[in-house]
Amino acid sequence: MFKKILIANRGEIAVRIIKACQELGIHTIAIYSEVDASSPHVTLADEAINLGDPTPIESYLNIPKIIQIAKEHHADAIHPGYGFLAENPDFAQTCNKAGIKFIGPTPEVISLMGDKIAAKKTMEKAGVPVIPGYHGLKQDNKALAEEGKKIGFPLLVKAAAGGGGKGMRIVNSEDMLLESIEGAKRESKSSFGDDTVFLEKYLEKPRHIEFQILADEQGHTIHLFERECSIQRRHQKIIEESPSPVMTKKLRGEMGKAAVTAAKAVGYSNAGTVEFMIDEHLNYYFMEMNTRLQVEHPITELTTGIDLAKWQLRIASGEPLTLQQTDIIQRGHAIECRIYAEDPSNGFLPSTGTLHKVEEPKGPNIRVDSGIVTNNIISAYYDPMLSKLITYAENRGDCIQKMRWALSHYIVMGVTSNIWFLRKVLEHNEFVKGNTTTHFIDNYFSEWTKTKKALPVEALISLAVYDSLHSKKEEIVRYKEADPHSPWKHMGRWRIGKEV
Amino acid sequence: MFINYEHESHVYSVMIERRDDSYFITYDNTEYKVQCEEVKPGQLKIMIGDRLIKSIVTEGEHEKYVFIDGNVYKVKPVELTGRTTKKKKDTGAADLDSPISGKVVTVKVKKDESVKKGDVLLVIEAMKMEYLIRAPYDGTVTKIHFKENDQIEIGKTTVEMTKKKEE
Repeated sequence: MFKKILIANRGEIAVRIIKACQELGIHTIAIYSEVDASSPHVTLADEAINLGDPTPIESYLNIPKIIQIAKEHHADAIHPGYGFLAENPDFAQTCNKAGIKFIGPTPEVISLMGDKIAAKKTMEKAGVPVIPGYHGLKQDNKALAEEGKKIGFPLLVKAAAGGGGKGMRIVNSEDMLLESIEGAKRESKSSFGDDTVFLEKYLEKPRHIEFQILADEQGHTIHLFERECSIQRRHQKIIEESPSPVMTKKLRGEMGKAAVTAAKAVGYSNAGTVEFMIDEHLNYYFMEMNTRLQVEHPITELTTGIDLAKWQLRIASGEPLTLQQTDIIQRGHAIECRIYAEDPSNGFLPSTGTLHKVEEPKGPNIRVDSGIVTNNIISAYYDPMLSKLITYAENRGDCIQKMRWALSHYIVMGVTSNIWFLRKVLEHNEFVKGNTTTHFIDNYFSEWTKTKKALPVEALISLAVYDSLHSKKEEIVRYKEADPHSPWKHMGRWRIGKEV
Repeated sequence: MFINYEHESHVYSVMIERRDDSYFITYDNTEYKVQCEEVKPGQLKIMIGDRLIKSIVTEGEHEKYVFIDGNVYKVKPVELTGRTTKKKKDTGAADLDSPISGKVVTVKVKKDESVKKGDVLLVIEAMKMEYLIRAPYDGTVTKIHFKENDQIEIGKTTVEMTKKKEE
């Protein structure tokens, strides 16, 4: 096992990894930019090195600097967390060259899975279903229409250079096909200066379902069941759960097998995730593979009892994965809510500022993976995710109830958070019924604004009472009323931790 | 004590007074009698009638936050310019100044009328909210500076009063 590991990340994931290392008796080195100096990952680690300049490219993305620190402090391995350098094949390569173990798959695998089209082709060859489509060079309208007919309807025509819905057409029948191809091309040409289009089968009521994989470096590969991550805003997940409310025993078996096949097809090692889209008829298609520990890994940890972060460390150190597929049992239900500093009533715009008070909900089967504490400053430099709130219960209904309770007892004051919004999603009837598709937020919450209702009278009373209690006059009265023999009386006004 | 809070660009004006063990809070023409305990700094247990409310108040640099029923509300105490200078000379005179710029909707008293502490003298409307100017002490109205439908600026004196002599 490793003796010293550098964690090339920040926030809650750095905290999560440091804890896993410390449990295994591994010395940890944290890195931080100057705005993160008082972050929990810095406090928790055995050593912490200041990177200075908070700009990501100068700090958490600065490969030469990070490698140099790792060498100077004799780290045997680097854990990249997620985001930042986690899926950067050059970083993995540089680590290897420097004789430092990169905790994750090989640079070749990261590189292959990073190329989305190459990844799909590899999967198709391995017999894993991919979304039927045409990504070829034949671009004349008639040839495209022929390809379209082969794929079937509904069909999506999308600009190769596209984004934001521009140059995109949903085609429901053959007679609209040519017209839609022409339209998408025109729009693409004027928006992006390029009229190359792709064709893809359009999935109705799609859900995002992914499978967790663990593979050791000797080739033994298992899956740890699914996570459904359909509740997304701006194509980013905000609520994940396991198991998926639509999963059947048969489908789970098939998809799990496909995920293991996918991992084996590329010689995958360490923890990874195979992402699928499924349609309303439960047809599943490979989308991509994430070559790292996922944000939402805790729901798998809770429903299987397996510590994924620790297995990452063991596997990277060359230990064999001693778990067999039959050892993995899915039990109960887990939900994760991502707590963001953002304003859901204003297009989920990130919110910055000082966290004047943070208090996490505590209770049985409530887990908070947090990267923040009271008085931390939320800057605009990094992702505004503050923490992850995870609940576990016997079944989905109980788990939703527990999550609602936990959200309503999560205090974050100082920046606008999405806690209230998450509660509204969990209270939504369609969510409760399990009708979660990737269009959920757009369908039910697009016009949503936190009802800008008046300040409730209870809040006003609380404020007035607070201000009255803390007015100078009142403090003097309270001071006078206090025990006349108390030695504290002779000290005058004072405050812990601060000069008056 | 009069306090004005701004929340989502609305100003809320409340009056709070402590009598014995209770607080009397007047807001929107309603008086609430409450008992309060500060369990931990900023953590309040408030009884409004037979209803128990738990809330947490935290101060930022210029703003305050209330956590109540799972929601966080951010408010800013509204600065009342023109009040602070007058505060020095008289105990209650500042309370006769308008807390807000708006329109005088009702004048409830006449010149030379004697009033009791807490009586409503004038009602001012701003941003669709009503603000009450109350007598800060028992006394007599000596001058009324505004009539109904007049525009009024923040900090301007609404009514002048003489304090009833202590017997």
